[in-house]
Amino acid sequence: MRSKWYSTLLSGLLLSAFSLPTAAYAQEAAPAAKPADGKAEEGKDKKKADEDRWLAVTNGDVYIGPGALLREATVLCKNGKIHKIGHDLDLPADTKVIDAQGMHVYPGLVSPSSSGLVGNTAGDFADTIDPFNRNMVLGLAAGITTTGVGNAAVKLKRFTIKDAQVRDRAFVTMVWSGRNPQGKKGLREKFVSTAEYLRQYRDWEERVKREKDLKEPAKKDVDPGILMVLRNEAYARFSANDRDDLLGIARLAQEFGFRPVIEGCTEGWTVADELGRAGAMAILTIRNQSPKDETLVRAGGSSIQNASILHRAGVPIAVVPGQDSVSLDGIVGRDIQHITVEAGFAVRGELPDDAAIASITTIPARIMGIGHRVGSIEVGKDADLIVTDGELLHYNTHVQWAIVDGKVAYDKEKEMFFAHIRPRKKSETSEVKLDKGETAPKPEDASKQDGDKPADGEKPKEGDTPKDGDKPKEGDKPEEKPKDGDKPEEKPKQG
Amino acid sequence: MVRFSLRRALCLVCAFALGALTLGTLTLAGLASSAAAQELQGANTVIVRGKLPPKAGEKGGPGLALKAAKILAVPLEGAQVIDNGVLLVRDGKIQAIGSARTTPIPAGYEVIDLGAKWLMPGMIDLHSHIGGTFDINDMVYLANPGLRVSTAVIPRNEAMKLALASGVTSVLFIPGSGVNMGGQGVLIKTGHERYEDALIRQPGSLKVAQAGNPERWVINPGRSFMNWNLRNTLQRGREYAKKWRLFEEGKGPRPERNIDFDVFPELFGKRTQISTHTQMFQVVLMTVTMLRKEFGLDVYIDHGEMAGYRTGELVKDTGMQAILGPRAVEVPTAQFIQWTGSNPEAMLGIGAEYQKRGVKMIGFNTDAPVIPAEELQLQAGMGGRYGMDFSNLEGVRGLTVVPAVTAGINHRVGSLEPGRDADILVISGDPADPRRWVERVLMDGKWVYDSKNERRIW
Repeated sequence: MRSKWYSTLLSGLLLSAFSLPTAAYAQEAAPAAKPADGKAEEGKDKKKADEDRWLAVTNGDVYIGPGALLREATVLCKNGKIHKIGHDLDLPADTKVIDAQGMHVYPGLVSPSSSGLVGNTAGDFADTIDPFNRNMVLGLAAGITTTGVGNAAVKLKRFTIKDAQVRDRAFVTMVWSGRNPQGKKGLREKFVSTAEYLRQYRDWEERVKREKDLKEPAKKDVDPGILMVLRNEAYARFSANDRDDLLGIARLAQEFGFRPVIEGCTEGWTVADELGRAGAMAILTIRNQSPKDETLVRAGGSSIQNASILHRAGVPIAVVPGQDSVSLDGIVGRDIQHITVEAGFAVRGELPDDAAIASITTIPARIMGIGHRVGSIEVGKDADLIVTDGELLHYNTHVQWAIVDGKVAYDKEKEMFFAHIRPRKKSETSEVKLDKGETAPKPEDASKQDGDKPADGEKPKEGDTPKDGDKPKEGDKPEEKPKDGDKPEEKPKQG
Repeated sequence: MVRFSLRRALCLVCAFALGALTLGTLTLAGLASSAAAQELQGANTVIVRGKLPPKAGEKGGPGLALKAAKILAVPLEGAQVIDNGVLLVRDGKIQAIGSARTTPIPAGYEVIDLGAKWLMPGMIDLHSHIGGTFDINDMVYLANPGLRVSTAVIPRNEAMKLALASGVTSVLFIPGSGVNMGGQGVLIKTGHERYEDALIRQPGSLKVAQAGNPERWVINPGRSFMNWNLRNTLQRGREYAKKWRLFEEGKGPRPERNIDFDVFPELFGKRTQISTHTQMFQVVLMTVTMLRKEFGLDVYIDHGEMAGYRTGELVKDTGMQAILGPRAVEVPTAQFIQWTGSNPEAMLGIGAEYQKRGVKMIGFNTDAPVIPAEELQLQAGMGGRYGMDFSNLEGVRGLTVVPAVTAGINHRVGSLEPGRDADILVISGDPADPRRWVERVLMDGKWVYDSKNERRIW
């Protein structure tokens, strides 16, 4: 059951959502299917039904991709999406303007995992989400606007839990460990049977067009998670550090044709080519130290150059700090608040600057299958931006504003934590109010809304997860209809 | 690496010795560079068994000239930075330093042009527990001025190698803070194989812990008892030191030696310091009022964190130094630091707060392995992140000259000035930035770390 505060918070707004059997986040099922400035916005406030919400970040140096910096440019956002990027843009009359003169504008950072930024625990996002959480403010202050929580990808939206979840089931977690040979055998067997089912199913799919009565193949021994992975709907996520485990995962991936995401990957640098060929992606903690096993002749142990060696071998790198929660014990530089510092250590190991920035933006977004929405500043993507007072990876750099879905979620000057550190000059301070989210609509509005709203959740559209959840069909993919090459790349062909 | 290849080369050469005598082309002078020594492995040549002649920069060897785009010389006073500079090393010491225009390189010097790289003094960590074995927290008595961690040193151990690769060349290896007075620390260098070479000074300090950990000692002493215990011990120590001073001045009889109190003549003679684990306001206050003012000791704030900065003005007035870390901020919610209960408002950078109160001599320490020894430079970086002003190179100074002056060893290390030990880092930029890394380390004129010769561990 949802707790009381939850229903209070949402009263009137999401009444329809409660009627859904699939719990509160059902309206999230197909965010990609919603038009960018669609019904959710319309229904919210009748008075502003035909008004668009504009936000512009002006005069900042905008980082639009590797090696591409637009000096003193403007990012114009409309209804939570990036609308235009450029110079001398015409701003609509009621545009909220953030003057980023002398500052840098980066995409909101993406952390592939974290604990406690959106709720109390790592795994149970839905039951503990708290948009008034202190740690969420600290997460935004660190520049993080989207994070993996358990298997979900969630935005750090303040004051509201509406549309916080970007994607459910972003990963399928798997275990492959030399310490558990039985487990390895079991996993492989599941892959074999699921791959066999998929082969039969695809065969059936072709033939049933001609032979109408042909029976669908039975789902015997089919693992739903592996099925998702084999159909490229979500990535398989392993946690492995040992060279032998890494090689095992690479072989498994090549045999069954999927791209593994490997967390840890400490000895990855010793088998970088193999991982690159297998299309592996890595989530690294750069400062993880482990000694070489001196009983073995081969290379091993940790290396500060792990990230750069893997990067050169074609392995996309995401970075998380060693402690993925907020630490308030006074020791700084090692927790989730210092994700940019961890990426900085990758540069120390000679990872190029751009790859290090990608390791906390585009790559984790792609790893979670949400690269079409977040992770870079591109027209049409979500308006998740951070404005910083320096280079992203410099140790002195602080986030001045964090913008989530086109709303100002964090302003350094307005929060108690960091406002005293190198305060912004008065001229730089534009009077921007925090967007406190939707005001609760009046009762009469709410009753009207009931009529408007349900379309979102109740009518499964194309692209939605099917009701029975196991019948594969064309549109079964999660909201992963990338526009521009953000789709998980084809696995490199073998041999 | 060179050492290994040479040993192999020597064995190889012994086998060839007779047959190859006729070749006899290789002279000792040819061995001067490590490159030549490595070439030997495959060569059919002769080596005369014995000690290799010292290389350029080492004691007794030819001079070494380093050219670099920027030299962070960071003397206590004077010009801090030299652009396009030259640094001359001879006999393990710095011979001269200056801009390339005004500093001629004498004939016969080996010249290494480091291009765009920077030079800076080796970093110094004044709160480190990685000097050797980890059994350095004896808790039998509450005060142990006679214990010496120098007996636990393992020169150039694995943790020290990592520290060296990060540019930490000198550490104050000290006892733990489990008791009120833990014993004597020792100042050692991280890159030498032998204790005698590594030793800078013994006693490096007398370790005192005024708060945080001694409360856990057998009978849970509180603040009052610990302060009494410190005052009691120091008073007896002062008497002991006085007797020795009078004896040395010929004004008194030779006192009976008490090895428990050996450290006190050093301490009261200002030849060593008290490094005190002191954190919270009322504790730092006692550090200043008792240790500094009442006993007149050379004492510095070590492991400085939490609300201790509130004594800042007092610290400044007494000319003390503040060595800070590993906690770089005081956080708004107290959590386990309940005892301070001081700051409800903001993430206060400890360094920034000391700086705000006029303290100029601010350094950084790690408490390794609590924070890995190799992250000393990040302590400076975090000082900057949380508000310290680095416009006068405070970040670099806090890693080098400030701790050197604090520990009374600036005549040997901590800045690049003529006559100092040639402990020099070749670094790719601002040392407080985690993105910049140490490529080579020269220690006493000898290359003790070169990232090109071995796998980069940091």
